[in-house]
Amino acid sequence: MPSQNDELEKKIPNGKQKVASIAEQTSATNGTAKAAKGSEQGGKLADGPKEKELSGKEKKELAKAQKIAKRAAEKQKQQGQPVVDLAVGNKGDLSKEAGKTEPLGPATPTSKTQHKSSGSTSAGAQSSLPHRQAPSHAAPIHAEPEKENKNVALFDHLYGHPRRTTVAGAGKDVHPAVLALGLQMRNYVICGSSARCVSMLLVFKRVIESYTIPSRNSLPRHLTTHLSSQIDYIVSCRPISISMGNAIRWLKVEISNVDVSTPESQAKSDLCDSIDTYVREKVTVADQVIANKANDKIEEGDVIMTFAKSSIVQQTLVEAFRRGKTFRVIVIDSRPLLEGKNLARALADLGLEVQYSLTHGISHVISHATKVFLGAHAMMSTGLYSRAGTAIVTMSAKEANVPVIVCCESVKLTERVALDSFVHNEVAPAEELMIQGRTSSLLSKWEDVPNLQVLNLMYDLTPAEYVNMVVTEYGIIPPSSVPVIIRLSTNS
Amino acid sequence: MLTPPPEDKTATPTSSTPHNGSSSFDVVSTYNNTLSTDPLITKPVAAIESLISLLSASPPSTISETLSLLESATSELKESVPNSIAISAGTDLFQRYLISTLQQGSAQYTKSKGKRSSSSGDGEFRSIRAHLLANSRLFVQRAKESRGQIATVARRFVRDGCTVLTCGRSRVVAAVLSAAAEDGAKFRVVNAQDSHDALSNSSTDIVTELRRKDVPVATIAFAALATSLPHITFALAGAESVVENGGIISGMGTNQMGLLAKSAGKPFYVVAESHKFVRIYPLSGDDLPLGQKVLDFRTEGGEERNEHEGKRKAEGEVVDFTPPDLITALVTESGVQTPSAVSEELIKIWS
Repeated sequence: MPSQNDELEKKIPNGKQKVASIAEQTSATNGTAKAAKGSEQGGKLADGPKEKELSGKEKKELAKAQKIAKRAAEKQKQQGQPVVDLAVGNKGDLSKEAGKTEPLGPATPTSKTQHKSSGSTSAGAQSSLPHRQAPSHAAPIHAEPEKENKNVALFDHLYGHPRRTTVAGAGKDVHPAVLALGLQMRNYVICGSSARCVSMLLVFKRVIESYTIPSRNSLPRHLTTHLSSQIDYIVSCRPISISMGNAIRWLKVEISNVDVSTPESQAKSDLCDSIDTYVREKVTVADQVIANKANDKIEEGDVIMTFAKSSIVQQTLVEAFRRGKTFRVIVIDSRPLLEGKNLARALADLGLEVQYSLTHGISHVISHATKVFLGAHAMMSTGLYSRAGTAIVTMSAKEANVPVIVCCESVKLTERVALDSFVHNEVAPAEELMIQGRTSSLLSKWEDVPNLQVLNLMYDLTPAEYVNMVVTEYGIIPPSSVPVIIRLSTNS
Repeated sequence: MLTPPPEDKTATPTSSTPHNGSSSFDVVSTYNNTLSTDPLITKPVAAIESLISLLSASPPSTISETLSLLESATSELKESVPNSIAISAGTDLFQRYLISTLQQGSAQYTKSKGKRSSSSGDGEFRSIRAHLLANSRLFVQRAKESRGQIATVARRFVRDGCTVLTCGRSRVVAAVLSAAAEDGAKFRVVNAQDSHDALSNSSTDIVTELRRKDVPVATIAFAALATSLPHITFALAGAESVVENGGIISGMGTNQMGLLAKSAGKPFYVVAESHKFVRIYPLSGDDLPLGQKVLDFRTEGGEERNEHEGKRKAEGEVVDFTPPDLITALVTESGVQTPSAVSEELIKIWS
C-alpha cells in the first residue's frame, strides 16, 4: 500500500513541472490562494518551491488528497496510533516530519479513494496540457533558473511577467519609435507619470502619421487595434501609468469618433492635431495654471518639503523663486531611483537653499518644514498614489501638523478606488535595489541565499486624510472632490 | 455675531468717498445701511442687495461696463471692512449669477456672436438687465428664507432631553433653537460667551429669546467650556463664511469649541446658509486674509494694553477659522452635508 502512495507522490510533481510555466502566467489570479496554501502544503511536498507552480485544478486535487490523508490520520489517532508525528505533520513545519506522516494515510481504508482522485488529477492535467503548453513555448523567459521562488507571496499577484529587456520577440507591427520608447521607459530614461504620458502621446502621433489603412478596413475600426498592439508592447516593458491609461482612453474615443468618410490623410492630421491640443491643454498649460495656483500657498520664509522628484512641484518652486519669494526647500529622497537628487541639483543651481535627506532622516527634518508639496502618480478620492515613500512623508507631516499639498493635473485623477498599496502596485525588478558595482555586498548574490526574497515596490497609497489639498488646473479641491473634477474634465 | 458693529458706519464714509468717481451712488454706505436697518440680513446678502441697488441706480450701459462697474464697487466694498471674506461670498455669487444670466440671455436673444457691434444688442441688453434686476430681488428673498429652511432641517437634531452648546450670537442657531422650542422640544442650552459678557449678566438676543420661550439657558465663559462639556449632547455653531474645504470662519472661540468637542467626542454641527460658501481654500487659519491681529506681544505698559483692547473692539468682531476635520456635519438649506461636500457645491456653482 505505501508503494502506491509513493507513486502518487511522484506523479503529481511530474504533472506540476509540465504546467509550471503556465501556472506562472496565471499567478495573477490565484496568487493569494497559493500563498495561503503554501504553508499548509509545505510539509507534505518535499520539492517545496515547485509545488507553488501548480495550476488551480491540481491544487484543488492536492488539497482534497491532503484532507483525506488528514482525516485518515485522525482516525488512526483515535485508534491509538502515535500522535506526535501527526501533530507536527499537520502543522507542516518540517519536511522530514511530514515525510513520516505521509505513509500513515494509505494504511487506512480510504486510500482507495485517494488513489482514484490522484489518478484523475494526473489525467486531467495531461488532458489539458496540449492546449495550455503552447503559450509557454512562446514565452520561454518565464522558466526561472533558480530553484526557489523569489516572489514575495503577499505581492505574488503583482509580479506578472518580467519586464521586457530587448526588442526581440516584439510584434511585427510595433512602430520603431514605440520600440525605443518602451525600452526608455523600462530603463527610467523617461520616468514620471506626466513625462511618460506626454512621450507616449507624441510617439503615437508618429505611429498615426506612418499608419496606412489596410484594404477593406476603416480607420476608426482598425487604428484602435493597431494602437493596442503598440500599447501591449509598452506594457510589456513597464506597466502603464494611470495618466497614460486616461490618455489612451481619450485617444481611442477620438479615433472611434472619426467619420468613416473622412479622407485618410485628413483624418490622420486631425488626430495628430487633437493629440497636440490634448498635450497642451492637459499638461503644458495645466502645469502653468497649477504652478501659479500652488504659488499662492508659498509664503515668505516658508520651508517647503518635497519627496523624490515631481516636475510640477519643481515648476511651482521655480516659479516661486522667479517671483522673488524667499524660501528654503527640503528634498526627501529614497532608493533605488534617487530622483530627488536631480530636483535638489536643479533648485540649488537656481540659487535656492536646498537641504537633501533620505527618508530615514524625515522625523528629524520634518520639524523644520512648514509645508509639504508633493507630486502624484495618480490621485483618487480615497488617497494619493505616488512613489513609494510618499506615505511616510505625509504621515510624518500630519504628525508634525504640517499641511500637505498635492499638485496634479486632472489627467492623473482616477475614479479607481484603492484602500491599500497591496491590491494595485507595480513591482520593479528586485535587482534595482542592489547597489550597482558593489560585488562584495552581502546582497550581491541574494538570489543564491535561501529564504531571502527582495521586494521592490514602486508606489504606495497615502490615505486621503493625510492630504490637505489637491491643486488641479480646475482649482484647489479636497481629495473627496476628485470625482467631481473627473466628471468636469471628461465632459468638457 | 453677524450684526455689524456701529463703529463701521462712522468709519467707512470717509474712506469710501474718494473712490466714488463713476456715479453718485455710495455702495459702502448702502451696504452698511442695509446691514443696520435689517437685523435679519447676513453680510453676503447685504453685499448683493447693495450691488443690485447700485445696478438699478446706475444708467443702463453695455455688459462690459456693467461688469467693470460691479468690479470697482466690489473692491470698494471689500476695502471698507477689515475682513472681506463674507462680502466676497456674496459679491462672487452675484457676479457669477450675473455672468451666467447674461450668457444665457445673450444666447437666447442674439443669434450672432457679435453683440457689441449691433445696435439692437443694446435694446436686448436692456431687457436682460430688467429681467436680471427682477430676478435678483427674488434671489435676495430666497437667501433670506433659507434661514427658516435650515431651522426646519436642523431642528431634528434637537431632541428631548438634550443639552445644546452654542457660542456667540449666530442668528441661524437662534432660529434653529427657537424653532425647536416652538415645536415643544424639551432641551437645555449652554451659551458660551466672552468672559466679561458672561459675567456682566447682560444677556444677548439669543439668550433672552430662548429664556422667553421657556428654554433653560446657562451662560458660561469660554474658560468654563471644558468643564461643562460632559453635560453637553452636541455643539451647534453658526458661521460667517464657509470655505471650500468645509472649514468655517466664525466668531472667535468657535475653533476652540470645535477642538474641545472633538476631544470630548461630542458632535459639532454647523448651521449656515449656502450663500455663505466662499471660494477660498485655506491651509489653516493663518492662511486667511482676516485682517486682524490676535497676538500682540509686548512688555510692560498695562495702560496701553487696555487702550489697545478698546481699539480692537472698534475694528469689528474678531473671527477664527475652524478646520473641517472638527466639523461633524454642515446643515444648509439644501440639507445635511459633510464638510467635504462644500467643495462639490462650489464647483457646481463655478463651472
